[in-house]
Amino acid sequence: MAVSQGLLYTRDHEWAKVEGDTATVGITDYAQEQLGELVFVELPKVGKDFGVHKELAVVESSKAASDVYCPVAGKVAAVNAELEAKPELINEDCYGRGWICKLKVTDQKSLQNLMDAAKYEEYLKTL
Amino acid sequence: MQGRISAGEFVFEPPASQPGPSVLYPEHEKLTSKSHIAAFAGYLMPLWYSSIAEEHRAVRERAGLFDCTHMGVLEVSGPHAVEFLNLVTTNEVPSLKVGRARYGYILDAAGNVLDDIIIYRRAEANFMVVVNAANEPKIKFYLHELREGRVVVDPEDSAWAAKICALQVAIRDLRDPNRPQDRRADIALQGPAALETLAKLASELAVVERMASLKGFAFVEERLAGIDCLICRTGYTGSIAGFELFADPKLMPRLWNLILDAGRPLGVVPCGLGARDSLRIEAGLPLYGHELDGKFDISPVEAGYGWAVKLEKEFFVGKAPLQHVAGTYDMEVARIELPATRGVRPIRPDDPILDQRGWCAGWVLSAAKVDEKQYALAYVERAAAAEGTKVGAYYLARSQSQVEQGRAQTAEKGQKLPADLAGTVVSRFARF
Repeated sequence: MAVSQGLLYTRDHEWAKVEGDTATVGITDYAQEQLGELVFVELPKVGKDFGVHKELAVVESSKAASDVYCPVAGKVAAVNAELEAKPELINEDCYGRGWICKLKVTDQKSLQNLMDAAKYEEYLKTL
Repeated sequence: MQGRISAGEFVFEPPASQPGPSVLYPEHEKLTSKSHIAAFAGYLMPLWYSSIAEEHRAVRERAGLFDCTHMGVLEVSGPHAVEFLNLVTTNEVPSLKVGRARYGYILDAAGNVLDDIIIYRRAEANFMVVVNAANEPKIKFYLHELREGRVVVDPEDSAWAAKICALQVAIRDLRDPNRPQDRRADIALQGPAALETLAKLASELAVVERMASLKGFAFVEERLAGIDCLICRTGYTGSIAGFELFADPKLMPRLWNLILDAGRPLGVVPCGLGARDSLRIEAGLPLYGHELDGKFDISPVEAGYGWAVKLEKEFFVGKAPLQHVAGTYDMEVARIELPATRGVRPIRPDDPILDQRGWCAGWVLSAAKVDEKQYALAYVERAAAAEGTKVGAYYLARSQSQVEQGRAQTAEKGQKLPADLAGTVVSRFARF
């Protein structure tokens, strides 16, 4: 299972890439593996505020609908509209072209509870 | 195990146990990652090996091999086996010929479906009964209690209970590893390349000819690659050309690999529970707990299987309540085709199905995406269930933000809702 260095992770298998006050968010390789082929992604509305662990998006495979929880507190600055037509980008490139949205981080402290790549890898071993 | 009977209703509390590996688990571990293996009906089973869509396509175009060793395989034998099965199952048993199989139901006295089953007649007084994995402990217990006369079989007339328990019949578990011989577990090879694959394992042409000449629900007992197999034209995918093979569970890993090796040049692939579900939904076949029984208590008549419930029989357990349902039911299972082009959200169980006025006429029970279409099996008003009827579907809220945007979380029958997707009721069943 691929874990990308330099990203931050949640126990629910979301990742966040923090650059300044912007966090790009997606789901991890483990999550996309578990879900199987994704067929639909419901993206959040640009401008909407989300607290930590609020339901940010919904990803649906042919077998299940699954919530994507917000890893940080922030306001949606951009969404990956390409996913609306090509949800499978998450399966193909979950840390790259399969990103879900960018958030303007409103509470830097909310980053403190996230795991780094090494810790997330350790966590995956316990599952 | 515990069973309790009240007002003809049979309630079974299964023993709590950890899911165990199927006899093919070591093969699954070689073929797929652990994250694609999940607990199902008490067994650790593969969800998929390559992908659900790929495996689905393989079965329609070539063939797919399924681990069905979790299914219960029982033997009912003895001088009164025919009478016993005819009284405790819904379909006609005496007319079943040796070498033929028949679909039917086991009901309780209140008419609840305890399981849907296939009965294979191997000899005049020897039957193999295949039951759902999830229901196996319940059915074993129920049949045992029936034979012992400890079950209410007819609230009106207890004479039938006495008749049933006077019958000489033995019920055995054919998967039991301690059985000295004739152990049986199930695998299924489904799809157009099934026969050509099995032919490679036959030692003589006559065996191939006997397999080739099998009609639906007919079987032969032959040796394939030296392994005793009961080979039947049955399955759960809608494949006309598919087979199920019942063989010794201890020899199953060998048989599994021989079939995969023989089928590889023909494009035969192993298939998991995901494709098994999407294939059976596309074909219109019911799954116990969804299109049968389940939260709507769906009866065989409503599920589209009135023919498998022989109300003209003098008696079977659950006959009176089923007779009542057959005369009064107003909902039934329909197969609905909807679009699933890129970006179309999948419909899910519980999503409402709307009639032409936009009124909720029922709910989705199961759904599956097949290429650019999605198929739903839905429990709908009979007026909306006729083939060719235009219907709508509405997505219930799946997240908090959808609730905030005003999307309904539940729908009552008759509730007016805007259709998110337009669909059509298609033939109740499809064969491939």
